[in-house]
Amino acid sequence: MLELRPAPLATVSPGVPKILQEGYFVRFTDAWPDTLSDVKGRLFQIEKTNQVPYAITRIIPSGNYTDIDMSNATGGENIYPENTKTLYETLIGFKPGNYLIHFYIPAGEYMHRLEQTGMVPNVASATLRYLGARKPSDSPYDDKRIFSYSVKDLEPLILRVLVNSGIDYEKCVLGLLVNKCYLKHIATPTAEQSRLAKVIRYYSELRW
Amino acid sequence: MASIVVDMDAATKTLVAEKRNAKIKPSLIMIDNVLAAADSELTFNDVFTTSDSIVAATGAAVAGAAQTERRLRINVSTLACVSLRDELKDLIFLGLAQVVRTVAGVATLDANCHITFCYDFE
Repeated sequence: MLELRPAPLATVSPGVPKILQEGYFVRFTDAWPDTLSDVKGRLFQIEKTNQVPYAITRIIPSGNYTDIDMSNATGGENIYPENTKTLYETLIGFKPGNYLIHFYIPAGEYMHRLEQTGMVPNVASATLRYLGARKPSDSPYDDKRIFSYSVKDLEPLILRVLVNSGIDYEKCVLGLLVNKCYLKHIATPTAEQSRLAKVIRYYSELRW
Repeated sequence: MASIVVDMDAATKTLVAEKRNAKIKPSLIMIDNVLAAADSELTFNDVFTTSDSIVAATGAAVAGAAQTERRLRINVSTLACVSLRDELKDLIFLGLAQVVRTVAGVATLDANCHITFCYDFE
């Protein structure tokens, strides 16, 4: 449900679309919880799409951070669907600046950590602030490489934006492209449809 | 790229309003003080409002607040015309770009002091 797609080592011709398209298949794994039974373990075909750009901006003093809640909760940025038949594929990119971004889902639970005890992101630490952190150059504003997938009532994805030391203030600009995908349930998918489907994992599968 | 010419017919003039999703990157500043009555002390301010944030080291909450940061200051003599281009390489405005004219430390208008400000959004 959260991916960083690295720059390709080779190109193919004709090119492959970067985002989900009409007619594509997506499959949600069985690890999705029962509370999200509308998608858990199901395969869908995308009937229609609509791409919606957006930008989120914060100006923060050096050494400070702010949490950006992408969900529709109070105080959130409302970047989650409200319809059970909608999947949001959200591309996230960053304008250049002296800042780092950590991902949490839900609040307080790190997306990126190592297995050794204590090897978790920590913005208060001079070293661990770099653990699991994305830099703006990892996903440029005009070539977004971070993809997140959200459905109605998914737990909130939190972006913790930390302005690194060395400057007075930084303007952190997050560029979003929300690819709205309207889903049609395929009750009995063929083996070929299952093979072609993009697998969308629950966030708990990305932590072990 | 865009440009604007302002006459300092007020001691404080706005050069470019804040663009929410971009920084202002000046590429050329030209100051024509030839016909002004006195030497001009020009201060280029960056005016913006911070977001609520938390100090990483202590966890203390910090409320958002209006800020005015000085980004460039230059004195230009009367009868002089000055242009800055390469010197602006690392100059960036996070919010609104504003210029303030003073004479001997006192805010002073002079419509014969002209400022050309060329910029991009980054």
